[in-house]
Amino acid sequence: MSIKLTGRIDSNNAAALEKEIYAKLDGSENELILDMEELEYISSAGLRVILRLKKDYPDIRIINVNSDVYEILEMTGFTEIVNVEKAYRTVSVEGCEEIGRGANGTIYRIDRDNVVKVYNDSGALEDIMHEREVAKLALILGIPTAISYDVVKVGDSYGSVFELLNARSFSQILDAEPEKLDWCVKEYVDMMKKIHSTEVPDGKLPDMRETALDWAKFVVDYLPEEAGKKLVSLVEAIPYDNHMIHGDYHTKNLEMTGDEVLIIDMDTLAVGHPIFELASIYNALIGYSEYDHDVFRQFQGFDRELGIEFWKRSLAAYLDTTCEAKLREVEDKARIIGYTRMIRRSIRRKGLETEKGRAEIELWKSELLELLENNDTLLFSISELDIEANKENLMIVQDFVEEKLSKIDCSPKIAMQINLAVEEIFVNIASYAYAPVKGNATVRVEVFDDPLSVTITFIDHGVQYDPLSKEDPDVTLSAEERGIGGLGIFMTKQIMDDIVYEYADGANTLTLKKNL
Amino acid sequence: MVIFKNTDNEKLTLAPEGRVDTITAPELEKALKDSLDGIEALVFDFSKLEYISSAGLRVLLAAQKLMNKQGTMKIVNVSDAIMEVFEVTGFSDILTIE
Repeated sequence: MSIKLTGRIDSNNAAALEKEIYAKLDGSENELILDMEELEYISSAGLRVILRLKKDYPDIRIINVNSDVYEILEMTGFTEIVNVEKAYRTVSVEGCEEIGRGANGTIYRIDRDNVVKVYNDSGALEDIMHEREVAKLALILGIPTAISYDVVKVGDSYGSVFELLNARSFSQILDAEPEKLDWCVKEYVDMMKKIHSTEVPDGKLPDMRETALDWAKFVVDYLPEEAGKKLVSLVEAIPYDNHMIHGDYHTKNLEMTGDEVLIIDMDTLAVGHPIFELASIYNALIGYSEYDHDVFRQFQGFDRELGIEFWKRSLAAYLDTTCEAKLREVEDKARIIGYTRMIRRSIRRKGLETEKGRAEIELWKSELLELLENNDTLLFSISELDIEANKENLMIVQDFVEEKLSKIDCSPKIAMQINLAVEEIFVNIASYAYAPVKGNATVRVEVFDDPLSVTITFIDHGVQYDPLSKEDPDVTLSAEERGIGGLGIFMTKQIMDDIVYEYADGANTLTLKKNL
Repeated sequence: MVIFKNTDNEKLTLAPEGRVDTITAPELEKALKDSLDGIEALVFDFSKLEYISSAGLRVLLAAQKLMNKQGTMKIVNVSDAIMEVFEVTGFSDILTIE
């Protein structure tokens, strides 16, 4: 039963109104709806009527409430005890420019200063409220974002309206002015670092690891058994991380307004390890259009080649390195999550039923299988390089260490000494740790203050071997008497200030320390 | 690494440029092997050498042992950084460094 209330309800007519309403009801109604579309004002006398109605009809709903009356209901706490639905303004997006398309909705510009995000799902009110909540949370935690100020009806669906003054998305900027690539990369990475350094109180945002685990468990059914198991265990091994990630961080979601950069489309906000963010960025910029290059422009709105360059430069800036091996290592880890997500997405959208879908899934799957074979963790650290221990990789390792040293005040002489030690230890691992098979070594560079020092840590999972146990060569012997062994380790011991060897859980760990 | 080579009758001068490390030391070793026949004076000019690791030291040690039998060997134009490597390893005592 729906009853329309009109005009004003106050102490003059409340009692009469109550009588009138009860006259219409016989107690058998299983729901009661008060339609307030034409109600202008309600006083406390009127509110008391509604309270009494609620006693008899606990599920009473109030709909089509205009903003004046809504304010009264909200102020008096009525919105907390009775189900109240606002009257939504209707907005048409016909002919409006589409400025972004995310997983849950599409963003249109409705006029110069305002955009509306229209949700795909017609039951989207909950999603809208969720996005509003998380956007508020992000804003409070210091992330520059836009918060919707109104909810509107768009066709059969709902939308939320944001003010975005004179905004241009990074996609638009890159398309119109590709020479601004470096500027865009810098702003994009600065914002990403800001998001990733933001700690979120537990329980406020979903845990991305759980979501990714669902993807992995879905994809398992389509992979060989061993590969599937490995995929799940890799995701499971990623620890809980309370730092914020955006979840859909692509160039259409960064908006330049005035001289401020805003991040929008916050409904995918979560907490988790940054590898999840990098995975979704890889997908947006490369993975998604890896098979069909044409979809890149449709989706991102600028040139695909520029998108690939944007990815490379952003990753290098984010990891603060130009070391190709480091960049490839992190990219590969991101691709494992990225492909997993896309394979699931495509299969759920009936990709296996079309020729193109099958070809795409096949491509992503073959890449994923290869990556699973070569990766034993999805974690990464910007101070670490995880690389196959073979002599050919020596220069890469040395360059990695040298780049880290170049960021601190380190004399060329000390840099060369550290370089020497790195060679001796890395070549030792490459030659003996895994022979005759292959394996990886992790090289970690850390700088400490007070006193200023640097440590280089080498970790391998090869045979247990303590290089410090090796006897020093007798350096007083003549050339004729001297052998060629043990020189490298001896030199390393001489050059470094401290060397510690440990063996635990199948890992050799050798830590070299040099005071600067 | 580039190795400049100059032969003047029984005198051979080798000037490696850049790095002598695990990867490049075999090149220096080969350059020696190919041209030491009949050489009585071997000179390493290290003016353009930036880096030498134990792999390079081993080549120098082998060359020194060989030259002890057939003539003399000396190393010239050694930078401070490389000199320190020689000192730390005791090579400064067994090589002739000018």
